[in-house]
Amino acid sequence: MSTFVSRMIHFVSCREASELLSQMQDRPLSPRERIRLRFHLAICDACTRFSRQLAFMRQAMRVYRT
Amino acid sequence: MTAHDFAQELERHRGYLYRVAHLQLRDRDAAEDVVQDTLLAALSGSGFSGKSSVRTWLTGILKHKIVDAIRRKQRDATPVTSLAPEGSELELDDFDALFRDDGTWEAPPAAWGDPEEALQRREFLDVLDLCLEKLPAATARVFMMREVLELESDEICKELAITANNLWVILYRARVALRMCLEENWFASERRA
Repeated sequence: MSTFVSRMIHFVSCREASELLSQMQDRPLSPRERIRLRFHLAICDACTRFSRQLAFMRQAMRVYRT
Repeated sequence: MTAHDFAQELERHRGYLYRVAHLQLRDRDAAEDVVQDTLLAALSGSGFSGKSSVRTWLTGILKHKIVDAIRRKQRDATPVTSLAPEGSELELDDFDALFRDDGTWEAPPAAWGDPEEALQRREFLDVLDLCLEKLPAATARVFMMREVLELESDEICKELAITANNLWVILYRARVALRMCLEENWFASERRA
């Protein structure tokens, strides 16, 4: 793995991943953020669940206001 | 549908509209005013296409009335200063407890089974309502601006005079708190059942 790639995917903690997942609902992520996030999600079940739950909550709010 | 039926149908949503408006404006009279304006506009206008539900349509009208009211309020007098500090200091301890020092989850999100099914249930929407009410007021207000009034980030920042970073932190906390509340009060008990 090139140092560039490894630097990009390193050090995305669950804390940071969860923040990015939330911000994704409010702004477009940068390509770098998207890649870091994707790598983290590939190895983290908890954040993957968190990601699905965020999407579900947005859907629930849509139902809430209809 | 006769005009009378239509008026009655609109009237049924008054309570919901008032709750949304009050959360945003924090003022009973101002909330009642925008709701009244909304219902009048709905009654006189012919904007209802039948493509969306009546409530969605009314929410759309209400959104404009609320934004106008917020703008008027800001122009008239009180500068909005209170929101950002309140939003950023809420329950900091709870949030530190959310993650371990190495950044991993202290209590990882649990599997929710089939959440889609919950959306069909009236009781789930009641729990959602309850969880929204449990959010700190400033947090709930921002969250509702984003998710119910569907304002864009930059619009909210402008209305409330807060930075984008501040907004993202508030929305993040709202979502995390809402997620925990739904898990505790719906999905966990569903698993037990």
